[in-house]
Amino acid sequence: MKAIYTITSPIARFLMACFAFVSCDSFVEVPLPDSQLTEETVFGEYATANAALTDIYAKIRDRGILTGVNTGLSNQLGHYSDELTPYGSPSNASYTFNNNALLPTNAAVATYWNTTYNHIYAANSILEAVDGNENFTDENKRQLRGESLFIRALLHFYLVNLYGDVPYITTTDYRINSKATRMPLGEVYERILTDLENAIALLQPQYSAADRSIPNQYAAKALLARVYLYKQSYAEAANAASALINESGLFVLTPKLNEVFLIGSKETIWQLQSPTAGQNTKEGALFIFTAGPPSLVALHPNLVNSFATADGRRVNWIKMVTKGTSNWYHAYKYKERTFTTTSVEYAVVFRLAEQYLIRAEARARQGDLIGAKEDLNAVRKRAGLGDTDAVTPEELVTAVLQERRWELFTEHGHRFFDLKRSSLLDATLTPLKPGWNTTDALFPIPLNELNANPFLGIQNPGYEH
Amino acid sequence: MNNFSFYKGGKALCCLFLMGFLLSFSSVSAKIPFRKTSTFFQQHHILGIITDGNTPLPGVTIAVKGKTHTTAISDYSGQYSISASAQDTLVVSFIGFKTALVPIKGRTKIDVPLLYDTTNLQEVRVNAGYYSVKESERTGSIARITAKDIETQPVTNVLATMQGRMAGVSITQTTGVPGGGFDIKIRGQNSLRTDANAPLYIIDGVPYASDPIGYNQTATTYPSVTSPLNSINPDAIESIEVLKDADATAIYGSRGANGVVLITTKKGKAGQTTFTVNASTGAGRVTKFMDLMHTEQYLAMRRQAFVNDGLTSYGATDYDINGTWDQNRYTDWQKELLGGTTLLQDFQGTVSGGSQRTQFLLSGNYHQETTVFPGDFLYKKGGAQVNINHRSEDDRFRIAFSGGYTAQDNNLPAFDLTYDARALAPNAPALYDANGELNWEDGTWDNPLRNLNAQFLSKTKDLVANTVLSYVLLPLLTLKSSFGYTDLNTVETRTSPSTIYNPAYGITSDRSTIYVNHTYRSSWIAEPQLNWKKETGRGALDVLLGATFQHQTTEKLYESGSGFSSNSLIYNLAAAKFPKVLLDESTQYQYQAFFGRINYAYASRYILNLTARRDGSSRFGPSNQFATFGAVGAAWLFHKEGIFAALPWLSFGKIRSSLGTTGNDQIGDYMFLNTYTTASANYSNTVGMQPTRLFNANFGWETNKKTEAALELGFFQDRIFATAAWYSNRSSNQLVGVPLPGTTGFSVLQSNLDATVENTGWELSLRTVNCNTAHFNWTTSLNLTFARNRLVEFPGLANSAYSQKYRIGQPLNILLLYTFKGVNDQTGVYEFEDLNQDGRITAPEDQQTIADLNPKYYGGLHNELRYKNWKLDFLFQFVKQDNILYPMGFAGQMSNQPLTAGNSWVSAGDPASYQRYTTGVNSSVVQGDNLFNKSTASITDASFIRLKNIALSYDVPLQLTHTRCTVLLQSQNLLTFTRYKGGDPEFTFTGYLPPLKVLTAGVQFTF
Repeated sequence: MKAIYTITSPIARFLMACFAFVSCDSFVEVPLPDSQLTEETVFGEYATANAALTDIYAKIRDRGILTGVNTGLSNQLGHYSDELTPYGSPSNASYTFNNNALLPTNAAVATYWNTTYNHIYAANSILEAVDGNENFTDENKRQLRGESLFIRALLHFYLVNLYGDVPYITTTDYRINSKATRMPLGEVYERILTDLENAIALLQPQYSAADRSIPNQYAAKALLARVYLYKQSYAEAANAASALINESGLFVLTPKLNEVFLIGSKETIWQLQSPTAGQNTKEGALFIFTAGPPSLVALHPNLVNSFATADGRRVNWIKMVTKGTSNWYHAYKYKERTFTTTSVEYAVVFRLAEQYLIRAEARARQGDLIGAKEDLNAVRKRAGLGDTDAVTPEELVTAVLQERRWELFTEHGHRFFDLKRSSLLDATLTPLKPGWNTTDALFPIPLNELNANPFLGIQNPGYEH
Repeated sequence: MNNFSFYKGGKALCCLFLMGFLLSFSSVSAKIPFRKTSTFFQQHHILGIITDGNTPLPGVTIAVKGKTHTTAISDYSGQYSISASAQDTLVVSFIGFKTALVPIKGRTKIDVPLLYDTTNLQEVRVNAGYYSVKESERTGSIARITAKDIETQPVTNVLATMQGRMAGVSITQTTGVPGGGFDIKIRGQNSLRTDANAPLYIIDGVPYASDPIGYNQTATTYPSVTSPLNSINPDAIESIEVLKDADATAIYGSRGANGVVLITTKKGKAGQTTFTVNASTGAGRVTKFMDLMHTEQYLAMRRQAFVNDGLTSYGATDYDINGTWDQNRYTDWQKELLGGTTLLQDFQGTVSGGSQRTQFLLSGNYHQETTVFPGDFLYKKGGAQVNINHRSEDDRFRIAFSGGYTAQDNNLPAFDLTYDARALAPNAPALYDANGELNWEDGTWDNPLRNLNAQFLSKTKDLVANTVLSYVLLPLLTLKSSFGYTDLNTVETRTSPSTIYNPAYGITSDRSTIYVNHTYRSSWIAEPQLNWKKETGRGALDVLLGATFQHQTTEKLYESGSGFSSNSLIYNLAAAKFPKVLLDESTQYQYQAFFGRINYAYASRYILNLTARRDGSSRFGPSNQFATFGAVGAAWLFHKEGIFAALPWLSFGKIRSSLGTTGNDQIGDYMFLNTYTTASANYSNTVGMQPTRLFNANFGWETNKKTEAALELGFFQDRIFATAAWYSNRSSNQLVGVPLPGTTGFSVLQSNLDATVENTGWELSLRTVNCNTAHFNWTTSLNLTFARNRLVEFPGLANSAYSQKYRIGQPLNILLLYTFKGVNDQTGVYEFEDLNQDGRITAPEDQQTIADLNPKYYGGLHNELRYKNWKLDFLFQFVKQDNILYPMGFAGQMSNQPLTAGNSWVSAGDPASYQRYTTGVNSSVVQGDNLFNKSTASITDASFIRLKNIALSYDVPLQLTHTRCTVLLQSQNLLTFTRYKGGDPEFTFTGYLPPLKVLTAGVQFTF
């Protein structure tokens, strides 16, 4: 027995050691992976919190509604209205937009909805985390909050214009958001305005980044002007636009058309920076083609033909590609298709020409014909055109809308939204497009969304089954 | 290499230290006699040779009846020597042979010819993971193959060796490219998450993570990212056991839901040192091509398409018919691009031997294989395996070490050429011009060989090592502890050089890109166990208690680089103008468990087996980390009952049944945390941080309730042996992304969904010994599985993101399809059933016909014949299933079509089976084809019977006692019988190279 005792003693020690190790519950607790941080850590210091904010800009640039790739609105709304013609394999999703044949099951429609709310989530999570956070200076807090509110307003603005009544999401709580209801359009606009007013109050008038890639107070004001125009508050729209136009130290219409979209352009109010040095815009990569037939998209001949021959934009912002007897045109606002030694173009979201046209229209609609003409002619002059010959307020409004078509084509769906807010969609698109229906003015609410959230109510008209 | 990245707390080190500590005592322990064995007075020294009637048998155990401590083992030439008294009886036993009792009767030279006992498999001990059990006494459902089955197969993947040989185990090869993967489902799909149905792999007691190690930007040659399972070397495997039911898997708790694959490597045997050398070489080819149009039919189709579309002239880019390309040219592109022959070479050497107390085995192997694609591509795999077993003189202390190291080096084209081989116009130009350069034919085509310039390289190194120490503490109590370590390191690169573009485009190396994936994974495991065995009267009790601690670290680094000053610099990331880190991640997984087993057998007739496990995992939030699983299994060996004595033809009868729960934790790490992840996108020179997911810490284990009942019957001394098993597995509390509205910011919330998936089935196996004489043996075995998969419940399915994926009452692997009506003989366009009668064919309303892609039944028929020195082994695998037709695109465009598409509609009234051709301008025809591929017409019978494996071997009758030489001829997938028209019927993704048929010849020397 003694023998057994002596043998078992090291074994017993071993056993005890093994089972001692058993007792710690903490064994199944693991540290975080290097590539992830807890929310608490992210908002523990300004650098990481700001990285969460800039990531939203990167996301807006790379996907969703404002991206310059073919899935973005610049392309798809161009097809949906009368700016662009799709080419290439039948799998090109633009055909569906071009035929105005969106279904509630359409993947692109769902992607706009989902990615936009995903970006809104990111903005809300910053707003919630900054609130009462002791780790930031007041200045940092104002900037984080201001930019987040601006993003939230901007994204909801596009949602309400695409889908009609939409939920205005202001929290990250999925238990609340999964039961969100559709807010009447007017109320969505009120929320947008509130967020924008708050953003303007919080943001600085100076640019924090010299390349104007971080929105400042003026970016918020530019959106404010547009929102007022869309909700037909013309006086306010004109005022907001004036705030930018009057700031001539910061903003001027770039005299040369071929320089409007360069990084250093003083016309730019806010632009999206490219991910790496040397990279240019996704718009350039999408629209420009060098040999026909085009692989994805070309300008609609109607748009090309609508320009006056003298119009500099026809010459400088559009390029023809020929093969045999066939001609195609592509948008040539952005000149660079691929890398350059250093980046020369960024994707512009807001620029001063639009503010001139906003004020022109707002003034015309208020009867300020002289002021309206002045603004309109400023844009025409830059394009190498003479003064407008519109006389009556109606003519002037029509002239401004026409000018917007020429000035803002392939920029984030301006054409479609302009036709829509002026109730010109049916009149313009019915003769052109066999697939056009009045109800196509709104996108369908994604079917999965209606299915997943019974509180969302009914489908948009024309899309019910 | 960062081999030593052990868990920070140093517990692992502590563990290793303890191991060393214990080892240091082993010599001490070994010297202390535990029970003095009284040596018997021995009079005789007996010599002899053991044979199977023809050839000597090494490794046979010769014992003396009644004297447990006197044994001998025959050497490589079958010779033995043993000491015994003249009145004793020798007991000569060897697995696979009938045990012979030979009375000595005073002789000193006794040669013993053993008879094959093909019926005695009931005595084999089956590995059940933490314990082993005699085949006849097992209560669980365990399928098994051994080295004998594996060695006949010229394959490199462990899953390939199991195909068609196990009931309830469905394995599909996903690509015929070397290094590619297999899909395995043990008793069907349990989880709604398609990537969470992998079984648990255990190699010599060490869990082997089967999670992919590849990256979708590098492993573009494969249909899915690289699996680590290729690192397991089939040559080193002694047996593979697949645990299926609750009784067998519940002891693996949370990881047992999808079954457990236990891999045991070869061990050395006592006896004289044996050298075995194998060398084989062979060739492989694609099993079956599609029947495609020749130039004549193809051009006729193209011309008709223009006629149909009312086009009077050919377009500038219609090179095939507008005269640009030679219209008399014909190339069989499948033959040209996929018709090559792969060359396989395989070498293997093993040294094994040892004494009664210590045995060892060392083996090394090398395999290389080319591809069927044109160009120089080579897959190389080499490895080494070491096994050492030792037990102390008093038999109380044992140590077993096994270690395996495998290195793979794979060089493949970055893209599979299968798609091009089927789509290219048969009169497309030559691949090379007169100078031997790639021919671009003035930019009129994309030469398919351009893709060979884009390369996929992969290097994987993998180590699995395990040490098991055991010590008999008390006569009935054994302490055992197992320590395992795995270390896997893989580097994959995929290039996209500018040379894949037509030089006329002027694209330079400025556009060349490389993607790099470094994945490193290591784990350790420690499993202390206590085993207590006690026999009381007619009962036997066996109790096992144990604990598991496992730690796994995975590091991933994905990078890309683009813009090189020269393509020769493409592998140098430092030379890239735009280097980018796409992912840099290190994750940890920690797992802890306690498990136990109580087995009670009464009179070797009534057996009860209880198993349980309590698991904790770092993959769950603090309140859900632990869960308990368990099972009850029982067996009744009724042939031992008195009343069956009257039925002499019934040699074996057993009813077994089990019931229990297992779990599934395959959800990935850290899913319960509220975190931000670094985004790969830059803005303001800052890499962004993005919210990772919606925060929910309250999800828990997926549970799987398993029930099984089986009847096993043996007739005529088990010469006919049949098993019928019925099972039902219900997987509930499904861990899925619960679909949420997009307004929440995310589309899913990681959570438990109250959905239930059921797998039920019958597994039948039959084994017959058709002939068993000294010179001729013939056994046949059949396995057959009928399985049904069903979604039982899914609350809110209709309103979820899964509404067009699943149907209640239907299998998970279904397709929802339009109902095909045929070709409208007036319009010449395909027609489909308008289910909702709205005059349009719309999705999802009209896309509602269900097609089940699960096999209806599958199985294998295996025959083994032995005549004197010849041995023939062959396996037919059969699968009854439907699968999708290979989508070829609409007919009439510049893309080849199946020969059958010749029968197309031309004018009103044609009873054609194919719709009218179009060049692409007729959108209703294009849409018709689009709908066709999502319709019932795209589903076809893809059943097949395949001569999966055939192996012929011949033992060359050498007059040398010390040497054996066997000549081997082996083949995989030699013949395939199928009605499937789209090439080989075995695939899960279209457009990838099918499995190859392989024929090898080899020789094995043993000396």
